[in-house]
Amino acid sequence: MSAALAPVVLALADDELVLGHRHSEWTGFGPHIEEDIAFSSIAQDEIGHATAYYRLVAAHTGDDPDRLALGRAPSEYRHAIVCERPNGDWAYTLTRHWLYDHADSLRLASLAESKHADLAALAAKMRREERYHLLHADAWLERIARGPVEARRRIIDALTIAFDEALGLFEPLPEEGDALAEGILPEPSETLRARFMDEMSARLERLELPRSVQGRAAETAEFIASSSGDLIAGDEAGDGVDRPGAALGGRRGRHGPDFDSLWEVMTATYRADPGASW
Amino acid sequence: MEIYEVFRRAGHKDPFEHVGAVTAPDPELALLMAKECFFRRAEGEHLWVVRRRDIHSLKDESLLRLPEGKEYRFPHAYRDVITLRKRARERSATPVEAS
Repeated sequence: MSAALAPVVLALADDELVLGHRHSEWTGFGPHIEEDIAFSSIAQDEIGHATAYYRLVAAHTGDDPDRLALGRAPSEYRHAIVCERPNGDWAYTLTRHWLYDHADSLRLASLAESKHADLAALAAKMRREERYHLLHADAWLERIARGPVEARRRIIDALTIAFDEALGLFEPLPEEGDALAEGILPEPSETLRARFMDEMSARLERLELPRSVQGRAAETAEFIASSSGDLIAGDEAGDGVDRPGAALGGRRGRHGPDFDSLWEVMTATYRADPGASW
Repeated sequence: MEIYEVFRRAGHKDPFEHVGAVTAPDPELALLMAKECFFRRAEGEHLWVVRRRDIHSLKDESLLRLPEGKEYRFPHAYRDVITLRKRARERSATPVEAS
């Protein structure tokens, strides 16, 4: 059995679980009741996908899916830092949802070609389920991008931060070389990141949003190239300043204080009685 | 934002049924919202949304009340029709006495 499978699938699972948890924090607070239900449903989908990934890992390692999801230390999670960022306002939540689901869509399309049959099948199934997420995210972005001045300004501000952070989704895992060699990952993260940049450039153009929101993201790309292996997690400097590369490190288990508080809440019930059956 | 009435059809042989309403800025988002609010458990195969202001209703709904003397529009008005006809025949067969 491949040793690279578990880390690859765990990173996918952690992305979905942590972002699903953040999305779920909107439940009861959505901008209106219909959106509250729709967004909560998207949160449930992400957590459902996380469950499927954890089960896939568990089936190969003999571990317990619940323990994988909720019984690890914060530094053992491999999600991208963008997933743990607090929701902020609706503009940030929405742009992150938009960026994440487009990134996830590219990733799933690629994973559907994985040589690992179970992973490929799972990716193909999730791709169908992600269609609604894309429709939802695109519909909102389109309306807000062309909407009133304040809404448009807030979406641009949010994108300026979130675009940079979202590239952390394409930060390579330490195990990526093995995963590529074994065909678990059909393509390197760098290829997916380039595809994501191109696709989102075209989308920004269609939405008449300034492509400058990608500006800092481009710097991040250079950052990855120039100092691979020495990626800096955002909060290490501790000065609260956003900088290129600030959202990297997640794939190596480096997370910020945002994740500490999320982890406390998310795992509280499990930690209260790890052996309990639900 | 506008109100959209939501109609759902369980299968292609069933009629569309009104299931509720959503608030949305346009038809596309109304469909996306309606899908999540009313199709969470695979309740149907078809979905319509109709902008509420495109639905016309009577200003005076008292027009819908039945005017007096229209009992004959109900089936029960014909329940005893056989007995009544029989009686009528009997009556007509009886010569009317000259007064």
